[in-house]
Amino acid sequence: MADNNSNQNAANKKIKNAGFRKGLDIFLFLLPAILLFVGILIAPIAVSLYRSFQKWDGFQPGVFIGIKNYRDLFFSGSVHFVPALKNALIIAFFSVFVQLPFSLLLALLLGRKYKGERFFLTVYFMPVLISTVVIGQLWLKIYNPDYGILNRVLGAVGLSNWQHIWVGDPKTALGAVVVPTIWQYIGYHMLLMYAGVKGVSSDLREAAMLDGATNWQVDRYVVIPVIKPIIRTSVIFAVTGSLKSYDLVRIITNAGPTHKTEVPSTLLEDMLFLRNKYGMGSTISVMLIILCFAFALAITAIFKEKGE
Amino acid sequence: MKMRRVVSMLLAGVMALSLTACGGGAAAPAPAPEAPAAEEPAKEEAAAPAEEPAEEAPAAEASAEPISLNMWCIATESDSNRHSYEAAIADMQAAHPEVTFTWEAFENESYKPKIKAAVAADDLPDIFFTWSCAFLGDFVAAGKVKCLDDVYQNYKDELPEVMLGNSTYDGKHYGVPLTMNIVGLFANMDLLKEAGYDEIPGTYDDFIKCCDDLKAKGITPFGCAGKETWCVTEYLESIIEKSIGAEELNNVFVNGATWNNEGIAKAVDTFQEMIKKEYFDPAGIGLTNDEVKANFMAGKYAFYMNGTWNCADFAANDDFKDKVKVAEFPVIDSSKSKLGQLIGGPSDTLAVSASSPNADRAAEYAMELGKLICHYGYLDGCGLPAWTPYGDTSAVNPLTQAVSEICANADTYVLFGDTAMSAEDAQVYLDYVAQVYGSAIDGAGFIEGLAGDLR
Repeated sequence: MADNNSNQNAANKKIKNAGFRKGLDIFLFLLPAILLFVGILIAPIAVSLYRSFQKWDGFQPGVFIGIKNYRDLFFSGSVHFVPALKNALIIAFFSVFVQLPFSLLLALLLGRKYKGERFFLTVYFMPVLISTVVIGQLWLKIYNPDYGILNRVLGAVGLSNWQHIWVGDPKTALGAVVVPTIWQYIGYHMLLMYAGVKGVSSDLREAAMLDGATNWQVDRYVVIPVIKPIIRTSVIFAVTGSLKSYDLVRIITNAGPTHKTEVPSTLLEDMLFLRNKYGMGSTISVMLIILCFAFALAITAIFKEKGE
Repeated sequence: MKMRRVVSMLLAGVMALSLTACGGGAAAPAPAPEAPAAEEPAKEEAAAPAEEPAEEAPAAEASAEPISLNMWCIATESDSNRHSYEAAIADMQAAHPEVTFTWEAFENESYKPKIKAAVAADDLPDIFFTWSCAFLGDFVAAGKVKCLDDVYQNYKDELPEVMLGNSTYDGKHYGVPLTMNIVGLFANMDLLKEAGYDEIPGTYDDFIKCCDDLKAKGITPFGCAGKETWCVTEYLESIIEKSIGAEELNNVFVNGATWNNEGIAKAVDTFQEMIKKEYFDPAGIGLTNDEVKANFMAGKYAFYMNGTWNCADFAANDDFKDKVKVAEFPVIDSSKSKLGQLIGGPSDTLAVSASSPNADRAAEYAMELGKLICHYGYLDGCGLPAWTPYGDTSAVNPLTQAVSEICANADTYVLFGDTAMSAEDAQVYLDYVAQVYGSAIDGAGFIEGLAGDLR
C-alpha cells in the first residue's frame, strides 16, 4: 500500500514536473514576443499615461498636476481638442457611410466574375499603393484655385459660381480632406471585402439562384451575411483610422484654415513639438488610445447585437 | 568704400537691436551701453574687412585626430541659403580633412518639431541650426547646448559681441550667428509701372492709392501664404510696428506688456481692411510660401512682404532680377512710429550640442563654419552679415545692397514675434494671426484673445 502511494506520488510529481517544464518552454518561446509587445506597445502607453498627469515641456523635469491636462483638453479654448475630435468623427462618418458602402459595392460587383476582374481590382487598389504624400500633392494640384482641374472643369461647364479656394475656405477645407481620404482607402476595404466575397461557397450562391434569387438578392441575403465579420473589421479600421488621421490633413490643409481641419493627431504634434507641451500631448495620445479601444468595442458589440 | 560705410552703419543699427530684442524674455542680450559698436571708433573697426580669407582663419589649435561631426540645418535644395552652406562646407572639408563632416537639411516647418524631439530625446547632432532668442532659450535652459564663451575668444575680432545678443543667456553665449534679415517690401516694378508708379510709394497714403490703382488695372497688390502663418506675421507685424511704434510692439512681444492694446487692435483692423478691399490674393490662404513666392516672381502680385533672405533667389533669377525692388513698409501713424523701425534681426544661428562626444572641436568647427556660411550667404544675398565681412564684397547683388541701405538707416529692430516669444506663446500668437487672416476675428478679438491666453 505504502509502495503504491509512493509510486503514485512519484508519478504525480513527474506529471507536475513535466507540466512545469512544458509551461516554462512555452513561456521561453513567448518571451521574445512578450518583451517586444511590452517594450514597443505597453511601456510607451504606460509612460504616456504617466506623463499625461504632468506639466512637462520635454526638457525640464515634469511637475505632477493631476487631471488638469484632461480637464483642459475638453474645457480650454486654446487646446482645440473638441473641434479636432469632431472633425475626426466627421471623417469617420463619411468613411463608414460613404467609403465602406462603395467598397462593398465594388467588391460585390468584382465578385461576380465579370470580364476584366483582375484589371479593375488592380485599378481600384492602386491608390492604396501610392504614397500618401504623393496623393496629398496630387489633390493639392486638383484643388489649386488657379490651375487646378476642379475649378477649371467647373468654369468650363458654366459653374463658375461653384469655384472655390477649396483648401483655404473654412467651409470647404474639411471636405477637401475628406474626399481624398475616402478615395484613397476605398481600394483597401474593397480588397478585404473582395477576399470575403470570393470565399463565399459557390454552393450557397447556386442554391439561392435555383430558388430564383437575383444577383442583388444573392448579395443581400447570402453574401453580405457571410462576410459580416469582414465588414465589421473594415468598420473598425475605418473608424479608428479616421480618429488617427494625420498625413493627408497635414499635407492638404496643414490643419487650417484657423483649425477648421484640425484632427487629434495634428493637434498632438503641435502640442508636443511646437508648443513644447509634452504633458498635454501625452494626454491627447492617451485619449486617442481610449477612444480607439472604445469605438472598436462598441462596433463589435453593435455587430454582435445585430447578429443575434 | 560705400559698402564699408553701409556695413558700419548696419552694425550700429544692430546695436540698437539689442535695445529691444529679447529684452525681457529668456534671452539676455548684451546691454546696449556696453556694446562695442556703440561708439564711432568701434564702428570703423567693425567695418574694416578682415584681412585673411576664411580658410586661413585661426584654427584654434584643433587636434588633428580624426573625428566625425554631423549637422542638421534647414538649407534644403529650395532654400535660398543652400549654396552658401554647400560652399562653406566644401571649404571646411578642404581645410579640415581630419573631420568627417556629414549634414542633413530639413524643410523649415518640419525641422522645428524634429529638433525639439531630438532635444527631448537627448539625441542632438553635434552642430545644429536654430533660431535665436526664445527658441534656442528653451534648449539652453534644459542644459542641452554647449556654452561657446571659450571658443568665442578666438573670434571676437571678427564677430562683434553685439551680434550675439539674441543667443546670449545669463551673460553666456550659446550661438554662432549667421546672417541677419529683416522683413522687406518687395515690389515688381513692371507691374507698378503699369499702374503709373516708377518707385515704391514712400508714404502710407500714397501706398494705399498705389494699391487702388493696381486693383483698377486688374493687378493683385499682395500675395500672402495663409498655409504658413509666419508669412502672415511678416505683414501683420510690419503694420502693427508702423502703427504703434517699435518700442511698444517689443514691449508686448518680450517685456510682458499687455496685448490689450487699442493701437494693436486698430492695426489689425487696418490689415483686415486691406484684405476686405481685396488687396490680397484670396487664393493665398490655401497656398504655401513657395507657391506665393513663385506667383510673385511670375508677375501675379505687385508686392510681396517677406524676409530679405529672398534677395538671393530674386537676384539669381535673370528674368526677374531687374524687375524687383525692395523698400521699407511705410509709416502708418507718424506720431508713434517712423521709418527705420524694422522687423527682424540676427536670428539664424548654429549651436553645438552639450552632449556631443567632440563638443569642444564641434564648437570650433561651428564657429569656422558659421563665419563661412555668413560670408557666402552675404555674397549670395541671403542676408546681411553678422560677422565682419572680408574679401571682395563688390559683387553683392543690388537688392541686398538696398537692404543694407535700409538697415544702415534703421533706428530700431523688433525680432520676429514667433522667434521672440516662448514656444507655447508663439503658437498661441500664430493661431490668432491665422484667425485674423481668415477674418475669423477682428482687431478687438485679437487683442482680447491674446490678452486672455498669454497673460
